[in-house]
Amino acid sequence: MSFSELKDRHVAATAMVNTLRDRLNQKRQQLLDTDVAGYAKSQGRTAVNFSSTDLVCCRTLQGHTGKVYSLDWTPEKNRIVSASQDGRLIIWNALTSQKTHAIKLPCAWVMTCSFAPNGYSVACGGLDSECSIFNLNSQVDRDGNLPVSRVLTGHKGYVSSCEFVRDQDTRLITGSGDQTCVLWDVTTGQRISVFGGEFPSGHTSDVLSISINSSNSNMFVSGSCDATARLWDTRIASRAIRTYHGHHGDVNTVKFFPDGQRFGTGSDDGTCRLFDMRTGHQLQVYSQQQANNDQDVPIVTSIAFSISGRLLFAGYSNGDCYVWDTLLAEIWAFGGHRKVI
Amino acid sequence: MNRLLTVVEEAADYSFAVEYNGPPLPYEIPRAVPIDVNRIPLAAVAPPSAVLSDLPVVHPLPSPSTFPFKKRPPLPAPTLILPVPAASPTSVIENHDDMDGPDADVSGALGSSGFPDISTELSEVVESSGAVGFSDDLGYDATSSNEMVPNRLSTDSALSSELSFRSSASGGEDEAVATQAKRALLVTFRESGQSGDSMSPAIGLPLRTRSEELEMPIKRGACYRCLKGSRFTEKESCLACDAKYCSGCVLRVMGSMPEGRKCVSCIGFPILESNRERLGKSSRVLKRLLSSREVQLVMKAEKDCETNQLRPEDVCVNGKKLTLEEMALLKSCSCPPKLKPGLYWYDKVSGYWGKEGHKPDRIITPHLNVGGTLMPNASNGNTGILINGREITKIELQMLKWAGVHCAGSPHFWLNADGTYLEEGQKNIKGQIWGKPIMKLLCPVLSLPFPSKAANPSGEEVNKLFDRAGSECFDVKALQKLLLVGHHGSGTSTIFKQAKFLYRSVPFTEDERQDIKLMIQTSIYNYLLILLEGREWFEEESLNEQRENQQLDSSGDVISDKQKKATEFSISPQLKAFSDCLLKVVASGKLEDIFPNTPLVEELWNDSAIQATYMRLNELQLLPSIASYFLKRVVDISRFEYVPSDIDILYADGVTSSDALAYTEFHFPPLSCAGSSIDDDDQQETLFRYQLIRVHSKGLGENCKWLDMFDEVQIVVFCVAMTDYDEYHEDSNGVVMNKMMESRRLFECIASHPTFEQKDFLLILSKFDLLEQKIDMSPLTSCEWFDDYSPVVSRHPQSKTSRGVPIGATKAQQAFHYIAVKFKRLFFSMTGRKLYVVQANGLNSDSVNAALRYAREITKWEEDRLVGGTVDSMYSIEPSSFSH
Repeated sequence: MSFSELKDRHVAATAMVNTLRDRLNQKRQQLLDTDVAGYAKSQGRTAVNFSSTDLVCCRTLQGHTGKVYSLDWTPEKNRIVSASQDGRLIIWNALTSQKTHAIKLPCAWVMTCSFAPNGYSVACGGLDSECSIFNLNSQVDRDGNLPVSRVLTGHKGYVSSCEFVRDQDTRLITGSGDQTCVLWDVTTGQRISVFGGEFPSGHTSDVLSISINSSNSNMFVSGSCDATARLWDTRIASRAIRTYHGHHGDVNTVKFFPDGQRFGTGSDDGTCRLFDMRTGHQLQVYSQQQANNDQDVPIVTSIAFSISGRLLFAGYSNGDCYVWDTLLAEIWAFGGHRKVI
Repeated sequence: MNRLLTVVEEAADYSFAVEYNGPPLPYEIPRAVPIDVNRIPLAAVAPPSAVLSDLPVVHPLPSPSTFPFKKRPPLPAPTLILPVPAASPTSVIENHDDMDGPDADVSGALGSSGFPDISTELSEVVESSGAVGFSDDLGYDATSSNEMVPNRLSTDSALSSELSFRSSASGGEDEAVATQAKRALLVTFRESGQSGDSMSPAIGLPLRTRSEELEMPIKRGACYRCLKGSRFTEKESCLACDAKYCSGCVLRVMGSMPEGRKCVSCIGFPILESNRERLGKSSRVLKRLLSSREVQLVMKAEKDCETNQLRPEDVCVNGKKLTLEEMALLKSCSCPPKLKPGLYWYDKVSGYWGKEGHKPDRIITPHLNVGGTLMPNASNGNTGILINGREITKIELQMLKWAGVHCAGSPHFWLNADGTYLEEGQKNIKGQIWGKPIMKLLCPVLSLPFPSKAANPSGEEVNKLFDRAGSECFDVKALQKLLLVGHHGSGTSTIFKQAKFLYRSVPFTEDERQDIKLMIQTSIYNYLLILLEGREWFEEESLNEQRENQQLDSSGDVISDKQKKATEFSISPQLKAFSDCLLKVVASGKLEDIFPNTPLVEELWNDSAIQATYMRLNELQLLPSIASYFLKRVVDISRFEYVPSDIDILYADGVTSSDALAYTEFHFPPLSCAGSSIDDDDQQETLFRYQLIRVHSKGLGENCKWLDMFDEVQIVVFCVAMTDYDEYHEDSNGVVMNKMMESRRLFECIASHPTFEQKDFLLILSKFDLLEQKIDMSPLTSCEWFDDYSPVVSRHPQSKTSRGVPIGATKAQQAFHYIAVKFKRLFFSMTGRKLYVVQANGLNSDSVNAALRYAREITKWEEDRLVGGTVDSMYSIEPSSFSH
């Protein structure tokens, strides 16, 4: 088989895939007779309505000198770890706003941080392509710095996102700029499995965000620069269970819905979407109906659900934070902060 | 009742109520009167102290019989709760009305009288108190309001939740619930009101200013917030307004204490001078409330926080306000004075320090370069005797007499720090004041200072001290960041490594060397692999040729097929197995598994087939030009003991094995070539630290996602390999692109990135040496961007001087200028600014040095431009050692 022949075949196959994909989309459109908002309206639900006093800035945590890139709560919701461009991780007591630890990082360009489910260690990752684990109980060294307890190396690109597996203290999943997600064993520092990469169903661009299912910790979803989100099973590394198309831009952030049956995404195209995990359908689009439909739609940089799931907080690149009613896709409030969890 | 109020949604901060669908209610639903913002008394915002006297201060209630409100015709049930206004915020409404018109009474304030039933009345009372709470919300930010309004400690949570009920629910049912709850609360209210019987409405007002606070009649010793406790209960006071809080309220009032022990409302205000002593000294209350680590952090914040510091402009020395540096100097010297805001005089020579108009207070470290010149009347003396130009006081004269100094005829003395004194203008030392042991006893008698032993460092030492402090504080500030980016293969890594070699005493640590070793070994296997692939290709090619030849002369001799197939590119089956294994391993990315495998590599390398392929190296497009450097020594390199030399490191591809960002910090060493006189500029340069950050282009992705992380870089150094113009690169989609075009795309992307809008750009055009070799073979126009390149060809292209140096610009130099102009135009068209271009060769340390120094110059120009000609003023804040 000659080279040109192969190339022709490849082109044909790509075209085939594209047509199939189009058909799939059309079929989806047909089947998708309603969306959540429509259904909720038909059921006579009214939107959550609350005044400006209901959303109150509880505490402002002061202490970082650089931009804060990421933060995470402990499962008990009493402590926060935040990662900032000043090269520090700060562990806060969320109730008193006191800093309990300040960890100086070897590499200042940190993009993500995460609390372990036991609350005793934190992980962070960034442009150094490594994921560093710090044990909060370990002794500080002479300079008052907390030593790194474990470094997970192996990514060939920046670590964009990391999250501990909820019910296993020693497992951690990272998403990286090398188009893969990796499940790590923290105690040994070894890769358990790699998701994506050379496997055909992996992401074709940088993975920007991951989120682990809160009810079934074997499932996690990843969002990528290839404008898709993919669902993975940690037991099956070879292929993504499902791929979710729909966004027209990089998927910056993914977050599981509290019930673990669906997940939300936020993208460069300025929309947030809600996908159903099982059917693969897109349930809802949250986008601003902008009168001036110009180029600079603010991109969604981060999203978070309320505990009930009724509210979706979305942070935009222009500094706004909108609160969406997940059922009705209506905006309720907006403030001016970069990141809301 | 709880069943009625079904909270469906619950998150951290809010709750929702659903509509009530139950059976119709037998009783009337109480309705809340909407809050009229205009009617809300503004007493909470700022009652000036003058008005405050008009405010009726509710006096302690000795017994219900003397209670003034009792005179009013009492409503049936609410009489029970009527004493509440004395303590509850409803009284504020009353006060407000009193201000409006003295005749108005409580019922007027409540809005309406004669309520149909008790519950409504109750809810009304609650509502109005809620209204007050709301007005506080308006006056304050929502966070502090709950904490700032005392008295309602027990109710404020309920109140706010009730507010949210009203706003969220359409049915009024829950209001009844709330009222029910409120009834109980109001009872507690009154009880608390009675127990803490000395309450005034003013306490309910937030502490806005200190003066206001002083007028507040608060029972001595009571907590300012809960108004409980006696003076014996342990309390913590706010450093700024001195309000005292009991241990229960401290955390609520002070919050996270970002500036130490201050009320939330006092954050940002300077602390009381009387509290300066307490700065950074934790108390028992705090220790009990917080963990020791947290206490430590709070104390640190308290001490280091800028607003808590003594402001230098508050301190005047010799009639001149201090600057920040002088302040730091005063504080850090070995014998520091006690600093409080005020006017001081300081005798630099002897170290005398005192308040202006008073005798010397103490002797501090002399020779500090602080404040203005000493005035003769600094200590308001009238003796006519001058010490170091200051007229001394009588008491000092007494001391001098005791010290045995002849003071007849009002002489003028110079007094040194060591106690030696001499007459003004004279050289001979007349004596030692501090020499006599008796002086040590006499000075305290006269309450005059006596120098401590440590107070006598020489001037140099002091200045050194300052130098160090100065450079330390400067060190932190002056980290200049250079961002080095470039397309893959543009020489960024080489420049980065060269910089490390140039400026670091230890260029690479052992770990880094190990990493690089691994990297080189990995790449060598990759090169081998490419060779093997090339071999297969060549083999096939030659087989085809053979076949064609065979077909051509098929009539000729019969040669066995086997023999025919054995071309010069064939290899033995064993090696074939190895190469297959290598292929597999590389595909799976686990190269570590086959390390080290020297014998096989050696065999492979020495195989004639591989050597034959190696001969045709330049036909293999994929193989980087650097490969031959390593391939020649492949056997050495694949050994386990292999240690990469410096040159190897330079030649190696990349900095880290994981494509991660790499950074290094360095100083520019002063140029030794400047000769004996190193100019000031260079000396200052050593103070600056530079951080070179090298970013891998692969990680940047399509639209440079995370470039905004580098918003504090001073200058972006972009690398382009000049040899790229005729090289092609196949991306993952199989689209072949010219590397120069690729570089240009990346450059456009970075230059137009909003993060770098105001940043300077330096373009390094690298690989000039290779360009020189190449330019003759392939024209620059092979890149579509450069198709209008028409060099001025000199008439004697090959003409050289007698020494073999080309005359004029060579072709390569012309090409360099052309590319530079191309990029400059592109940059100008995008940003309207100037692009700096420099040429460098990564393997040549001098050229890299020159390029990076050029980058440094650019950052300096940039600073000068920002300062706008007042360069001198910028430098004047620097250590005084430079200014002499």
